[in-house]
Amino acid sequence: MKDKKFWQVVGLILLVFFVYWLAGAPYFITDRVVMFFSIFILGSILLYNIRYAERGGEVYLRPIPGLKAVEEAVGRSTEMGRPVLYVPGIQDMDQVETVAGVVVLGHVAKMTAQYETNLNVPVARSIVMKAAREACRESYTVEGRPDMFNEDMVHYLTDDQFAYAAGVNGIMNREKPAACLYMGKFYAESLILAETGNSIGAIQIAGTASQAQIPFFVTACDYTLIGEEFFAASAYLSQKPELVGGVRGQDMIKLTVIASIIFSILMMALYESTGLGFDVTNFLTIR
Amino acid sequence: MLWKRQIPILIVAVIGSITLFGWFINEPSIKVFVEDDATQWYNILASFAAILGALNLIKIQVQKVLYQKPGWGYSSIAVFGFVFSIIAGFFIKGVDVEWGAHVSSEGTLFKWMFDYIFSPMSATMFSLLAFFVASASYRAFRIRNFEATLLLVSGIIIMIGRVPVGGVISSWFVMYLIVLCAGIYVNSWKKDLKITFVFVLVGISLVTIGGVLMGWPIDQPGVFYLPSIQEWIYYYPNVAGARAIMIGIGLGIFATSIRYILGIERSYIGE
Repeated sequence: MKDKKFWQVVGLILLVFFVYWLAGAPYFITDRVVMFFSIFILGSILLYNIRYAERGGEVYLRPIPGLKAVEEAVGRSTEMGRPVLYVPGIQDMDQVETVAGVVVLGHVAKMTAQYETNLNVPVARSIVMKAAREACRESYTVEGRPDMFNEDMVHYLTDDQFAYAAGVNGIMNREKPAACLYMGKFYAESLILAETGNSIGAIQIAGTASQAQIPFFVTACDYTLIGEEFFAASAYLSQKPELVGGVRGQDMIKLTVIASIIFSILMMALYESTGLGFDVTNFLTIR
Repeated sequence: MLWKRQIPILIVAVIGSITLFGWFINEPSIKVFVEDDATQWYNILASFAAILGALNLIKIQVQKVLYQKPGWGYSSIAVFGFVFSIIAGFFIKGVDVEWGAHVSSEGTLFKWMFDYIFSPMSATMFSLLAFFVASASYRAFRIRNFEATLLLVSGIIIMIGRVPVGGVISSWFVMYLIVLCAGIYVNSWKKDLKITFVFVLVGISLVTIGGVLMGWPIDQPGVFYLPSIQEWIYYYPNVAGARAIMIGIGLGIFATSIRYILGIERSYIGE
């Protein structure tokens, strides 16, 4: 609550919106004002916590075994003299999970550069190939090993889901990577990949927000980053205050959501039993 | 630096903000951009990028064949498939139909390739899932700890409860089973045969008396009827867990998107 500048900006935005609202809110879809304010409040919570971390505030990050194991997996590959296989999902860069997967790839590439281990990144989309290459190139340069970077470490296989799965399975069986990392958006191919990785004895770490694939990864992989853990991976691996603060912000938003759910249940019960208050379900429905 | 840092961040911030706030603005041109134009721009860019992907694929595979690297035989098949697809797609139709329509017209080389090579191979990969599900389920269902046991029991209930045979298993039979299983637990806990015997005897007697009094209805008490139990597991604990994960995923996506729009997260440009 000590961030004076933050509160001044929030107050100013609210004041501007209030004046805009009094002026009849031209061009604004007024039915969506609840959603607009929800985004504003949640975004503000997030930004407040990011600023809190940037100003040196203490932030505790719960240890996530899957992320701790990433370095262990790269180390194991180094010891065994085998490559690390990184699969950034089968979707394009318009999916936030793919973007998160490419971001984590940057951190993994830093580790493989440090440990001088081969990295193999087969991709299913051309744009992902370009983005992943840039992420790897930057990581190898930052680690002072641009000589180790080879453009073909990130290579395109195919856009087709099962052809891609077949291609990656082939790489696994031929190259026998010691570590397989699956970070991105997956569909039915998740279990085909993870089971093949399991059969070759690789240490496997998966991270996805594809809800239907989480059980498959949990079953077949050694570690799985479930949903939000996957999005927190970048913060956890980089330890940058602005990203770590974002993770704290997410937790605060979660608390707000839990409080809203409890409040809505109570309000709804009150409304339905006594007629007091208002229909909170109708109020919160997106139009 | 400007081209590789500031401009990409600016593009992400501007397009991200328009996409986010376009949802709240009643202006047709913004609406069209958000819902249609932006996607089309992406598709156009992706189409150009597809050429890069194809070139990369053929480069790597040809290199493998030329230098006879391990597994070069597979690469030669990949190169052959690549060339064959291009020929079937751009040069040889096989029958007299319009260019473009030949990809879906019967009798063309491209359609033949799709129906008799691509589709069966995709189906083969997909069907592998059945075997992988079996091996993964075996590992997941092995009784190692309390959670695995819970998963095993829930899995069995769901599987039996959702098939017709589950509906003909009487809830009284399930109750007898529970008494016997509880007897095993009591025996391993107390390690006294007398106590186990009394426990099982009392349990079986109570179930039998209850059955006689109620007339042995197959689906009563509902709490022991497999289709009812599976429905409860499926709609309550399962949905509760799934929604909790969904909320977490939603918040993760929201926080990540905001960080990108505001330029806080810059890892995607290598920072």
